[in-house]
Amino acid sequence: MSHAVEVSAEAAASDAAFLEQRETEGTQRFIKRHSLQARITHGVTIICCIWLMISGLFVFIPPLTQMAGAGVVLAMRMSHRVIGLVYVLVPVISAILAPKGVLHILKVNLCKWTKDDKLWMGLFFPYLFGCKWIHMPDQDDQKSGQRFADGMLWICGILMAVTGVALLLGSTVVDLGVAAHSVLLFLHDLGFFLLVIFVMAHIFLGAGIFQPYRGCYKLMFGNGMVSESDALYHWGHWARRELESGENVVVVKKDEK
Amino acid sequence: MSDKAFLFDASRCTGCKGCQIACKCWNNLPSSLEMNHYKFTGSYQNPADLNGDTRLIMTFNEFENKASQKRVGNAITRRSCQHCTDAGCVSICPAGALFKDEATGLVTHDASKCVGCQYCSSACPFEVPRYTDDGLRTVINKCYGCVDRVANGMAPACVTTCQPEALLFGDRADMIAQAHRQVAFLKEHGYEDACVYGENEMGGLHVIQVLKYGVEKHGQVENPQVMGTVGAMNVMKPLTGVVAPLVVVGLGAMFALATGYKRNTLAYNNETQDTIALETGEVVKTGDPQDSRTFTEALTENLPFMEANRKKKQLEAEAAAKAAAEAEAAAGSEAQVQAADTAAATEEDTQEGGE
Repeated sequence: MSHAVEVSAEAAASDAAFLEQRETEGTQRFIKRHSLQARITHGVTIICCIWLMISGLFVFIPPLTQMAGAGVVLAMRMSHRVIGLVYVLVPVISAILAPKGVLHILKVNLCKWTKDDKLWMGLFFPYLFGCKWIHMPDQDDQKSGQRFADGMLWICGILMAVTGVALLLGSTVVDLGVAAHSVLLFLHDLGFFLLVIFVMAHIFLGAGIFQPYRGCYKLMFGNGMVSESDALYHWGHWARRELESGENVVVVKKDEK
Repeated sequence: MSDKAFLFDASRCTGCKGCQIACKCWNNLPSSLEMNHYKFTGSYQNPADLNGDTRLIMTFNEFENKASQKRVGNAITRRSCQHCTDAGCVSICPAGALFKDEATGLVTHDASKCVGCQYCSSACPFEVPRYTDDGLRTVINKCYGCVDRVANGMAPACVTTCQPEALLFGDRADMIAQAHRQVAFLKEHGYEDACVYGENEMGGLHVIQVLKYGVEKHGQVENPQVMGTVGAMNVMKPLTGVVAPLVVVGLGAMFALATGYKRNTLAYNNETQDTIALETGEVVKTGDPQDSRTFTEALTENLPFMEANRKKKQLEAEAAAKAAAEAEAAAGSEAQVQAADTAAATEEDTQEGGE
């Protein structure tokens, strides 16, 4: 897709030798990207989120409720509360266990946008419809669009968690008053609306349904490592930095992967 | 059957609370037998407000009444569901547990359908809906207008027990006419603030009230409105219903357009800092600089028609360069001939001069 770059004869020879050595050794490099704890937290959150969406639909869509019957709806509502608590507690516990990880997430998501970040964001929507023709600029640890989408998932997730807990308390322990209850319900619905959009987009890209993102699911559902090629394609600047430092690089025989 | 309504005439009410008890009896709603279980309200009112076991209470609002010899006024009011025509609770109930009784227009409910979401409490400007917790489920508990009694030709339980006929039940139009007659009578007798409440509020309530001392003293809501968030929440559902499928269609289009796409496998040579495409062996990037392309260049550089344009331009440029080179060569050879002629002429002149 991208155009070839002219290099000196020396560099070309070195590159040829590098490729030959790589072929002879039959190895492939991977970069460690997500810890086991991050993957478990992500997995639990996904299960909770899907269940909360399904059980929440029983309140959100009246005909579904009427069709399912009171017993099913009651079971769904109770599970909505229990799973809702798991959804809130697991990330909180995970954050307490790994405060450095939280700081890292904040750092990479709140960093200043470079020229590549802005260009990437500008090209993103055309790219989604024309990935065969548009070559995206390299990205750092988190793509700029990823920062935006992840940020929205975080904001919506926190909004749902806070309003959900407040609604639970308001219907069991304290009387929040009609106005507060009403506003909380609206915010909970708004959070659901936004989550539906961003979760669908997240699944489409993250699970690798979109062809250029094939294999991305392994990052969170596999061993948490990303291949050298995928890393260079998705997070070029980060990948080069990692490959040069070698700290998180794992060399694997091709037949071992 | 035409719309039915309750008529509560505060000027006839003696505050016996028989209606409150009748409601509890008919609906099997318990009261606590524990001493001082209910908080003292400072008046004859008990309990302080509606609750999961109390669908109707009489409220007693005391105020300074200079017109009276006793100097104290007592505005007695019936507090229960007002059975609105534009009932926010009905429109927001996700489970269909709250609905309008078609025969009477009263707002009734089916507790077995209630999912306990309490959306209805957020929609009611009168703060009426309450909930009963049976240890397993929390479900709606509010006045249902005794529609079962009405369907069998009886008046609601509270109306039946009212001795001074402060509570009546009948066709809504008749109840409104009766209320206006009573207000006119009260005004004639010095109750200037007396008014009819419920005729137009919330599209018309099905509890028409004669308020002897005016809306405020009877603790009624002046100009009740469904909260704005109810409208917003009712918008969220169709909005989500429309946007979610659109997103799915959009994602489907992206998937279809990307069919057949296969990208090169990339590798990075640490030594030269070259990023190499393994399939072609080409270096696609050297080092790790920021992208130098503009947005337009990045957007259009690989588009099929841009590719053709670029090739065409490249060919034109090559042809132009070739033509220029040929012209230059031709010009060069002509100059050479001219220079040779000049040199020859100069030599001849020199020879002639020498001779």
